[in-house]
Amino acid sequence: MNTKIKVKVSHLIKTFGDNQVLKGINLEVHDNEVVVVIGPSGSGKSTFLRNLNRLEAPTSGAIVIDDMDIADPKTNINKVRENIGMVFQHFNLFSNLSVSENIMLAPVELQKKTKAEAAKQAKDLLAMVGLESKYDATVQSLSGGQQQRVAIARALAMNPDVMLFDEPTSALDPEMVGDVLEVMKQLAKQGMTMIVVTHEMGFAKEVADRVVFVDDGNIQEQGTPDEIFNHPKDPRLQNFLNKVLNV
Amino acid sequence: MRRPWIKILSSLIALLALFTALQLTAAPAKATTTYQIATDSTFPPFEFANSQNKYVGIDIDLLHAIAKDQGFKVNIKPTSFNAATQGVQSGQMDGVIAGMSITKEREATFDFSKAYFMSGVVMAAKPNGKITKLSQLRGKRVAVKTGTSGAQYAQSIHKKYGFKIVTFDESNDMYQDVLTGNSAACFEDSPVMKYAIRQGTKLKIYTKPALSGPYGFAVKKGHNQKLLRMFNNGLADLKANGEYARITKHYLGAKGSSDTTSDRTFLGLLKQNKGALLNGFEETIWLTIVAIFFATLFGVIVGLMGVVPSKFFNGVSTTLIYIFRGLPLLVLALFIYTGIPSLTGQKIPAFIAGIVTLTFNEGAYIAAFVKGGIHAVDDGQMEAARSLGLPFGKAMRRVILPQGIRIMIPSFINQFIITLKDTSILSIIGIIELTQTGKIIIARNLEGFKVWTIVAIIYLIVITLLTWLSNWVQRRVRL
Ligand SMILES: Nc1ncnc2c1ncn2[C@@H]1O[C@H](COP(=O)(O)OP(=O)(O)OP(=O)(O)O)[C@@H](O)[C@H]1O
Ligand SMILES: [Mg+2]
Repeated sequence: MNTKIKVKVSHLIKTFGDNQVLKGINLEVHDNEVVVVIGPSGSGKSTFLRNLNRLEAPTSGAIVIDDMDIADPKTNINKVRENIGMVFQHFNLFSNLSVSENIMLAPVELQKKTKAEAAKQAKDLLAMVGLESKYDATVQSLSGGQQQRVAIARALAMNPDVMLFDEPTSALDPEMVGDVLEVMKQLAKQGMTMIVVTHEMGFAKEVADRVVFVDDGNIQEQGTPDEIFNHPKDPRLQNFLNKVLNV
Repeated sequence: MRRPWIKILSSLIALLALFTALQLTAAPAKATTTYQIATDSTFPPFEFANSQNKYVGIDIDLLHAIAKDQGFKVNIKPTSFNAATQGVQSGQMDGVIAGMSITKEREATFDFSKAYFMSGVVMAAKPNGKITKLSQLRGKRVAVKTGTSGAQYAQSIHKKYGFKIVTFDESNDMYQDVLTGNSAACFEDSPVMKYAIRQGTKLKIYTKPALSGPYGFAVKKGHNQKLLRMFNNGLADLKANGEYARITKHYLGAKGSSDTTSDRTFLGLLKQNKGALLNGFEETIWLTIVAIFFATLFGVIVGLMGVVPSKFFNGVSTTLIYIFRGLPLLVLALFIYTGIPSLTGQKIPAFIAGIVTLTFNEGAYIAAFVKGGIHAVDDGQMEAARSLGLPFGKAMRRVILPQGIRIMIPSFINQFIITLKDTSILSIIGIIELTQTGKIIIARNLEGFKVWTIVAIIYLIVITLLTWLSNWVQRRVRL
């Protein structure tokens, strides 16, 4: 494995009011690594991910991505975000724009690409996620699975180094889940650095380089999929796996 | 990270402030010999609009004759009696001639000319003879017009005779109250009452003129003394050369100026007042368009201030909305028109005061739904845009506003219609828009019901057209 550290989180604390949600998280993610984050509901997984691109401002601690400190208010966060793609549970496609416009908006606005260049790129990305025919479609006409694939294409349009996924398949009908996971596997194969929050244990076993178990605002245990799924040590992890694998 | 956005906002606010300031100072510079004189819009036979929509009457004709005699110019601004006197007190106006009785109380704040007319208060009631004496008023309601000597007289004797006073802003409303039987009688200056009866008002005068008092031309105490001197000199000249007698006889003589003979059907009234109604209608439309423009500008800016990531601007937005939505439009209009000039000494033309009033009031409502419309857009949209690296302003412009505006369109249309209706309230500061035109016509011909029907129909037609137009726009905008 490549040893270059892409993301380094040190003692990250996040409090909402007097509710401490993240209680001092430390994590290093290497270049090309796929890290899957699992944990019970309310344990702070989304909050952790949202701190990584400052959709939530950290209360204290440091987050360094590509040598830039996200937690430092002086950092130009918009520039950093261009390098961090994010995919949301509820897709959040821009409902006033068509499929292709969704993908082209940021490259045209931020990378000063011409309309033609951006359009070409949008076509390629749509082909990659298997939706070339939806180029001119409205967002409202797509199924959930299709919307999520467009959302992935939209995030990729800025050529990010790191991709964050927050439960990308939890809002989908079961028959749609496979298509989306397929696109994510493809990305992983291409060497994208990914941090994925998911309840899809199959995906974690197959794709993850490392699985991180979060509970109660902290990382309780981490390791390879084999270590986590076949030899869990922490009783809370054992308990959690019992629940999710036996439903 | 949010600097550019804030910069744009602050410069827009600065622009708006500058614009307002310019408007204030741009009040036309007067040639030294033209005086702004306030008068009552509806006090025949002293001042009223004739069927050509020109102001005539004893006061108006006297003032013009005196101005000619003394070589100065006047610009006569008809408004309500209260607005007229307040206009002089706030320095908006140089003088007031409005059948104004010279009283001790008023002499505390006004300097009066020599009396130019002697009047007295009479009691008028229905001609059926049920109420013929003051003593029969016990337990009854008596109608008066605010600020008149009739009102003062009523005040001084209501304990003694045991009646209840109800006040009106317009003479016609006061007469109507007696005619419908709500009030048993009214107190009115005798020449006014005589004129109204000659115009066809079915009331009868039962008492001798009481509290007989002089009418005077007035300026603010200690101000415009030269104007006052010229008025006195001119008055003396007119009395000497017979002009004074000619004018008063024209309005009070046996064959006074009167248009009772004219056609009083709906169509007749519409024909006679076509010009006046058209002018009032134009003023209403003009007020509406200009007010909508500035209210939208103000509302959108204040609304956006409510959603930018800045506690300070959020607070300013909330406060502005709270204040201007909380104030009744009427109070705001009077405050801006008469209140601000008495603080700053700067005159504001009524039209500008009206626009400012509507801008703040309607703008506050617009700000509230602009804010609401933006908040109604799913938070995920902003997060997705920001996560791509789009700055707040760009995300707002390209993603949030296009969705928010679609949500706001019905509210905008609704607000435009409300603005049109609210212009009628500006009649209080003397803007001669459609409603004020109605009042003025009624002051002359006392055909309240028919004229208000005509005015109401005009409003309904415009609102119907506006609704059609906006439905059409709405259909075009929908995806
Ligand atoms: N904006 C916020 N304000 C206040 N509390 C918040 C906010 N966002 C999250 N929380 C709280 O933080 C805790 C962790 O929430 P978070 O969404 O990170 O959990 P999660 O692990 O992603 O759960 P799930 O699996 O249900 O998505 C919860 O108790 C939640 O109520
Ligand atoms: Mg979550």
